[in-house]
Amino acid sequence: MQPSTSRRNRILATLAVIGPGIIAASAGNDSGGISTYSAAGARYGYKMLWMMVVMTPAFMIIQEMAGRMGAVTGKGFSALIRERFGVRPTFLAMLLLLASNAACTVAEFAGVAAAMELFGVARYLSVPIAAAVVWLLVVRGSYRNVEKVLLGLSSVFIAYVISAFMAKPDWLAVSRAIVVPSVVPTSGFIAMAIGLTGTTIAPWMQFLVQSNIVDKGTTIKEWRVARLDVMVGALAANLVAMFIIITTGAVLHPAGIMVTSAKEAANALAPLAGHYATLLFAIGLLAASVLSAAVLPLTASYAICEAFGWESGLDRDWSEAPVFNGLYTVIIFGAAAVILIPGVNLISIMLVSQVVNGMMLPFLLIFMMLIINDRAIMGAHVNGPVHNILAWGTIVVAIALTVLLLGMTVLGVG
Amino acid sequence: MYYLTQLLGKPVVDAAGQTIGTISDIAISTGEVFPRVTSLAFLGPDKTPFMLSWRKFVDSVDEERVTLNTDRAGLRFSYIQPDEVLLHRDLLNKQIVDTQGMKVVRVNDLKLSESRNQLRLLGAEVGARSVLRALSPRLERFASRVARFFHAELPETVIAWNYMDLLERDLSSVRLSVTHKRLHELHPADVADVLEQLSPSQRAKVFEHLDNAQAADAISELEDAFQADVIDDLGSERASDILEMMDPDDAADIIGDLPYDKAEALLRLMGVDQSSTIRRLLGYKEKTAGGIMTPEVTTVTEEMTVQQVIELLRREAADNETIYYIYVVEDDSSLVGVVSLRDLVMSEPETTVRDIVHRDVFTAGVDDDQEDVAELMSKYDLLAVPVVDETGKLLGIVTVDDALDVLEEESAEDLALATGADRALDTTDAWGWLGRTSGWLTIWGVTGVCVALLLGRFAPTLRGLFAIVLFVPLVMRLAEEVSAHSLGMLIEAGDPAERPPLHRRLLVDLLVGLGIAAVSSLIVFGTLEALGEPRKAVLVVTAAVPVSVLAATIAGTLVPYIALGKDETSWRVPSSLLSAGFALLALAVYLGMAAYLTGVLGA
Repeated sequence: MQPSTSRRNRILATLAVIGPGIIAASAGNDSGGISTYSAAGARYGYKMLWMMVVMTPAFMIIQEMAGRMGAVTGKGFSALIRERFGVRPTFLAMLLLLASNAACTVAEFAGVAAAMELFGVARYLSVPIAAAVVWLLVVRGSYRNVEKVLLGLSSVFIAYVISAFMAKPDWLAVSRAIVVPSVVPTSGFIAMAIGLTGTTIAPWMQFLVQSNIVDKGTTIKEWRVARLDVMVGALAANLVAMFIIITTGAVLHPAGIMVTSAKEAANALAPLAGHYATLLFAIGLLAASVLSAAVLPLTASYAICEAFGWESGLDRDWSEAPVFNGLYTVIIFGAAAVILIPGVNLISIMLVSQVVNGMMLPFLLIFMMLIINDRAIMGAHVNGPVHNILAWGTIVVAIALTVLLLGMTVLGVG
Repeated sequence: MYYLTQLLGKPVVDAAGQTIGTISDIAISTGEVFPRVTSLAFLGPDKTPFMLSWRKFVDSVDEERVTLNTDRAGLRFSYIQPDEVLLHRDLLNKQIVDTQGMKVVRVNDLKLSESRNQLRLLGAEVGARSVLRALSPRLERFASRVARFFHAELPETVIAWNYMDLLERDLSSVRLSVTHKRLHELHPADVADVLEQLSPSQRAKVFEHLDNAQAADAISELEDAFQADVIDDLGSERASDILEMMDPDDAADIIGDLPYDKAEALLRLMGVDQSSTIRRLLGYKEKTAGGIMTPEVTTVTEEMTVQQVIELLRREAADNETIYYIYVVEDDSSLVGVVSLRDLVMSEPETTVRDIVHRDVFTAGVDDDQEDVAELMSKYDLLAVPVVDETGKLLGIVTVDDALDVLEEESAEDLALATGADRALDTTDAWGWLGRTSGWLTIWGVTGVCVALLLGRFAPTLRGLFAIVLFVPLVMRLAEEVSAHSLGMLIEAGDPAERPPLHRRLLVDLLVGLGIAAVSSLIVFGTLEALGEPRKAVLVVTAAVPVSVLAATIAGTLVPYIALGKDETSWRVPSSLLSAGFALLALAVYLGMAAYLTGVLGA
């Protein structure tokens, strides 16, 4: 062993528990998220920044609970649901998770198509290649390698920070908007607020962070460090979201340009903030979409196989884990194929995925609260009273917003 | 036949016909192969839990209820006994180890059967059928009817109690039947198989039940990727104890994969002899004779008698990996020769080693490639080969088990060369299957959509379109076949030096390609003429097919040849993917040609 490798190993050992939280949270800033944030900034300027600040602790609390369940029990979220509630609720939850993840994966490939079209590459070329790359990354990589690539991809989010600075916002106005809550009393504003919540706290992130913690073998003894990772990840993800809002808020809002997708936002940036802002925006979108397109199908496969006791894991080959491998393969290529159907309405696909997410969230959060307060499962690590109040508060708000969103979608308001 | 999921929640009725609660669980005694049900747990009013002795109080059971033999006042409640297992609490929905199939599975249902008024557990159901039943019995009936329509049976997968090991509940205090197999009683290789399926925390639980020797055996059998992880997860004390029990070469392999701090800590906890041996082994390069050898070797000098040698073996060599060969050295430990156990047994006790030693010994240099050493052993059927340094000093031996590992590893590498799969040791079929079915299906699907889109653009008439589409599969299939053949030839050649030069290969492949192109254009022409296609379309397609096949042939020769380069192990693209690429290339050429010719001929 040479000294250089030994030093590297030591750093690796320290960093061993870092990763799951950051990846899980970054994957949340997927193409749907970027679209929503861009639209929020373009339409309402900085007025929604304070909501991201309020949402951050809620997001952190939920991610922390998921991670803690993983560290204490050594089991994934779906396994806990199965063992605590039996086959039928599990089946329902897994069906919803599959539907939501598949829909989100379609949205990710839509993001890839949009980003590459900004570079002038046709989607009929970019999407099949992206699907193949993502699939190979998942199939060929060991968990550690995949994690490294994903961590690398999540660092591309710095692109948004840079493009925010290039947009030259009025930082005084930005900081005021962060501290002072402001509400525009229109149904459009409320719909946007719901959209923000839905993309920030997506249900599959809890599955993801918990299964990553379990996969890493993080125990409750190492939880202190891992928790930091989970919290920092949540914080970083929301910061990135805020920079996206700042970018479009600084450039597009004053010009009165409304956008509905990340691609429109990026295109709209060019004449106002320069070509490089568009470029950075597109790179960020591409990285986000690829990252999430790799993570989402995996999350669904892990969760479903764990719930029903089928073998799973990146280290298993096809004969050992046919369902696991089959599931993510079908999701990845199926989602990519949907994008290639001519005339498919990508905006409505994103909308459907958000609605499914919204429907799932209350169910899952309630499952989570019941499990995490069950002493037979969590032992001494059940929630404390303060934690419970905060978590239930978050859940009530999330449910209220979701019900509102569903109601508004059904009634066609906003 | 009863199923636990159907019994749970059903009413418990006393002798007077009064419902006194609903079934919440059923306990079994653990000592038999098909355990008896011993207690009934039910929830009374206000969800108060109660437990009753099954033998004393249960009169009968059917699909709708459990009927007791006395009225409520006559009941005597009991408590769960330490050796009882509760079916709902401990088994249903939980993960168990199937110690017969060496698999970790989740229990979907438990099957009970009644014989002479005694309810017994038949086993745990783990198959898809039991998932359907748990969802809804109607769904199960529907699925089995559908299956019968196709003349198939929906199979039940039942694991008997004696083949279950519980992961959640510690059964060590429970009396089990003689035939009950627990995980840690299995062969180390089987234990290793199961360990690889468990999560890290479950693995830790299993290791609590293994003693150090069993743990050492099991870890040795694990795949390399898991070994360091498992050791890393164990406490340092235990880990170093286990490593000490392993063969030093195996232990060194694992320690070499650990983070530096952990490795140092473990080495410091070990005995001085062990740790210095391992440190020395760590100094040798990986994938050389030094890297795989064990230093535990029995040495004797020429002056010793056969009698003395045998006594020495008895005294000192009990732990050595092999005692079949005994190496004869001089005082400075330079190798003189070898005597086999056979020589010793066949000789008179007073004979000196000098008289029976074979001085002509196969040896391996410490820096020799491990593959060469393994091939040497395989060629001359050796059980061990001595490893010497450049001055001829004996450093250790490579034993046949390590050589087998090397050969397996190398064949996996060769396979990886063919498929691009890293961990392809026992996955030949799986990768082949993957490449041929699902990968292809998806590529076909995506390609189909693309082709449909492109064709809409340039196809002049519907008739012409038909002619073009008809041969898309042929073009892609041929391209795949041709390129796979070409890559196969390269791999077969193995060593870059033995590969035929590029121009010769190109010539050969070109001829083959031309032949295929000629045959295929004949087929195309014949088919289209027979179908009565428009003359223009026939010409276009008849020209486009051979050109695209030829293009794929040339690319199929050139690309692997260039990519393979000098170092064959750097080749890491799955051949199935590569073939797919060539197929797509051929398709592009085909469609391009068709489009061009259509334009030239005038639509």
